[in-house]
Amino acid sequence: MTNVLSLLVVIPLAGLVPLFFFRRDERAAKQVAITATFVELLVSLWMVTQFRAEAGFQLVERLEWLPSLGISYLVGVDGISVFLVPMTTLLTFIAVLYSSGGAIKTRIVEYMAAFLLLEVGMVGVFLALDLFLFYIFFELMLVPMYLIIGIWGGPRRIYATLKFVIFTLAGSLLMLVGIVAVYLESADPSGSRTLSLPELIEVRTRFPADFQFWVFLAFALAFAIKMPMVPFHTWLPDAHVEAPTAGSIVLAGVLLKAGGYGFLRFGLPLFPIGVQAWLPVLIVLSVIAILYGAIVSAVQKDLKKLVAYSSVAHMGFVTLGIFVLNLQGGVGAVLQMLNHGFVTGALFLFVGIQYEKTHRRMIADLGGLANIWPVFTMYFGVFMLASLGLPGLNGFVGEFLVLLGTFGSSLAPPLGGLFWGPLAAIGVILAAVYLLWMFQRVMYGPVREAYRMLPDLSRLEVACALPLLVLTVLLGVFPQPFIAYIEPSLDQLIRLATDPSFMVVASK
Amino acid sequence: MATVYPEITVTAVAMIVLVADALLDRRRAALALPIITIAGLIVALAAVFAVVPPGQYFRGFVTIDAFTSFFRAVFIVLAIFAAAVSPPYLARRGVPAGEYYAIICFSTVGAMTIALSADLITLFIGLETMTIPIYVLAGIQRTDRFANEAAIKYFLLGAFSSALLLYGFAWLYGVTKATDFVTIATVLATQGIANGPTIVALALITVGLGFKAAVVPFHQWTPDAYDGAPTPATAFMSVGPKAAAFAAILRVLIGALGPLYVDWSAVLAILAAVTMTGGNIVALAQTNTKRMLAYSSIAHTGYILAAVAAAKAGPSASAAVLFYVFAYGLMNLGAFACLLYFDLEGTRGASLDELNGFGRREPLGALAFAIFLISLTGIPPTIGFVAKFVVIQPVLDAGLAWLAVVIALNAVLAAFYYLRVVVHMYMYDAEEKVPGLVTGRTLSVSLGVASFAVVILGILPNSIYQWALAAATPLVR
Repeated sequence: MTNVLSLLVVIPLAGLVPLFFFRRDERAAKQVAITATFVELLVSLWMVTQFRAEAGFQLVERLEWLPSLGISYLVGVDGISVFLVPMTTLLTFIAVLYSSGGAIKTRIVEYMAAFLLLEVGMVGVFLALDLFLFYIFFELMLVPMYLIIGIWGGPRRIYATLKFVIFTLAGSLLMLVGIVAVYLESADPSGSRTLSLPELIEVRTRFPADFQFWVFLAFALAFAIKMPMVPFHTWLPDAHVEAPTAGSIVLAGVLLKAGGYGFLRFGLPLFPIGVQAWLPVLIVLSVIAILYGAIVSAVQKDLKKLVAYSSVAHMGFVTLGIFVLNLQGGVGAVLQMLNHGFVTGALFLFVGIQYEKTHRRMIADLGGLANIWPVFTMYFGVFMLASLGLPGLNGFVGEFLVLLGTFGSSLAPPLGGLFWGPLAAIGVILAAVYLLWMFQRVMYGPVREAYRMLPDLSRLEVACALPLLVLTVLLGVFPQPFIAYIEPSLDQLIRLATDPSFMVVASK
Repeated sequence: MATVYPEITVTAVAMIVLVADALLDRRRAALALPIITIAGLIVALAAVFAVVPPGQYFRGFVTIDAFTSFFRAVFIVLAIFAAAVSPPYLARRGVPAGEYYAIICFSTVGAMTIALSADLITLFIGLETMTIPIYVLAGIQRTDRFANEAAIKYFLLGAFSSALLLYGFAWLYGVTKATDFVTIATVLATQGIANGPTIVALALITVGLGFKAAVVPFHQWTPDAYDGAPTPATAFMSVGPKAAAFAAILRVLIGALGPLYVDWSAVLAILAAVTMTGGNIVALAQTNTKRMLAYSSIAHTGYILAAVAAAKAGPSASAAVLFYVFAYGLMNLGAFACLLYFDLEGTRGASLDELNGFGRREPLGALAFAIFLISLTGIPPTIGFVAKFVVIQPVLDAGLAWLAVVIALNAVLAAFYYLRVVVHMYMYDAEEKVPGLVTGRTLSVSLGVASFAVVILGILPNSIYQWALAAATPLVR
């Protein structure tokens, strides 16, 4: 069947229909949401089996949508997106499964509906190959997440959710102006315009240098806010701290990736000159994010905030890998996105589980949990080690490739790869410092009497965590099969982004 | 005669409503009048699509083209919607129903006359026919002090702006010795560079039409008039006359004064930026939802005006105006109509606190309101987003990149106050003692249909945009 990608967009939407009819029955609503996200997960895995490890877009579907504007419904996957989609469906399934276990107590039907709608947006972002369609999915992620944080979040949820929405909208509306500019600039002599990515790549030679400079900036702002890159990251700690656990899992696991993915999918191939112009700024900001994120994480008193700031550092590796503009860096960046999705998603899950049991999130209030929760400690320990980049677990592979790419990059202006590489490597060491220190304070030491009777992981919680644990180990030990899928597409992308015919113009 | 069947039908509906109101007793009238109005308007809508060959009629006073049909249809659809949401409110507040429906119909006839005008005189008559009933509508609650204030303010400023506009028309006649748009355009084109009298005419006309469309700094009447008028009337006032004002702006500026494009486009671009920013900043400070929506409608005037200023981009600019007017009409009318849920005796508009917990108390009504607000913000997949997209396109095409950025930043400002309403509906719980909600079947059904249309036309906007594009083409000759 060739409509598998549209199926991925439609399944969560179809799940909304029974939810509407079961809107007084919470049990049924949970079952509908779990079923829909599980079917979605299976279909996305089936899609991976249909994919061949070659460059170029596959499983492409095209439908005329707005012929009067030259806009079409165009979806497809390549090596960059082929794993991001199942990552999304897996994390959504886990988020819904975990939420159905009692973590959410009010308005469950609306909650499940918000998650299904969110899934449409998230999956669609990774599938869309038309800028108009991409923008719609990009924004479709916004409203459900706004509601999830705002309705089911913590005490300061309203401040956090408005900040999240306003920051994101500010970026994406500027990107909308950029998209329209691309649309107008794509006009061929006969006047027909397009927003489809494959066609835009063919006509990109028509984009003049100053146009690329400004339009890339508009796109970069939207993606940088979404990632988030320093100094646009201030919405992230607030949103994460206030979001319900499942919201945090999906926010960190998937929504942040939309930014990095946007850079790879649209930023690099469409605006080679713009990329060259902004490269120094982006590399410096990436390294600042790695170091700043790590240092700020180290001083956090709140467990959830610590994990949130560690995301800023991890996303710094993603952008660094993207903008050193070589194959190792790029593959590392894509792997880092996947790893961060699984590992940080899991860390937020465990912070949430822990909070559900103890009702404390301040590190100083915790301690000695290893004595009472052996299973919890094992899982949490593995994810913590993966997050700090221990070899043998997945975090290492991505960060190592990014560092390798940075060292080997002759481009990496303004000071060269041999300057930025070691600086970024310090970030890995800092990650070990703050994560191990956190683990020590939370898990070891004397246990509080009040916690002694609290139960270890339930079966549901193990079911949520186990797939992530398997993937963490699998990606750490056998990254090669995954790299083989990613590499051809990324190779093609890097060629597009570093096309020598554009470099001549850029150096002028 | 067949050329103006839709106008004749709407006029007849108004007459029938007045007669029926006199003949029927009160209870029957409350039931029958909205049905007569809506049925009659649907007939008029059908007449719009009756085939009339495009061209000039009535010795060049009237023109029938795709533009005319587009605006006629928009005006009638808005009037139907306004009539459908009104009955419970009218019954509760004791507003005379017969006069109310008749006024809406008369005003609609005026708006339609603007759409088919080919001459300054027809246009002016249409404008006045549309506005005078609205003055009455604003003050239809005779015992309400705020309604009186609203009506007087609106009337004085409206009369003032009409005088300015007429004075501008007179100057234009002095310069070109003609009142029909085609001749004016031809004379101005041969004249070349604009001279002093032409500039005076242009300035007066811009200010006069700016008043009608509520362009900053000629907007002061808007918040008071919208706030003081009965809520269903506000819903109609905020969209019908505004759409008509833009029909007039397009007919006059592009149809007649097109050759002076260079002179007016820069001014309009600046006015557009000032209007959207001013409207949004004041809207941010409002705690009363009705007043907030009133100011936000000024901001939307700014977005539409930006597309007018981008006329250099060709038909896509006018098509953007048409599309935005349609989208704005649908979503703004819907948003105001949602306030009817809160419109109890002794309240004015709805303060944000009154909205607390609305999401729980009336889930479907709240959902519709949220959809309208998200659409007004310009977030996909709604028609409001497509409208922003089609407006930004000609603005960039005309080389006004700064204006496009101003639009984008303004949409962020707007997101703040629109989404604050959603926050109150869904994220705060209602207090212990809350006044009840006013519900009604026609209200729920109309809101359901409109919010559904906002989403569906947001996903599949092609037919509407194509229609707008076709309607915009005859303007640019």
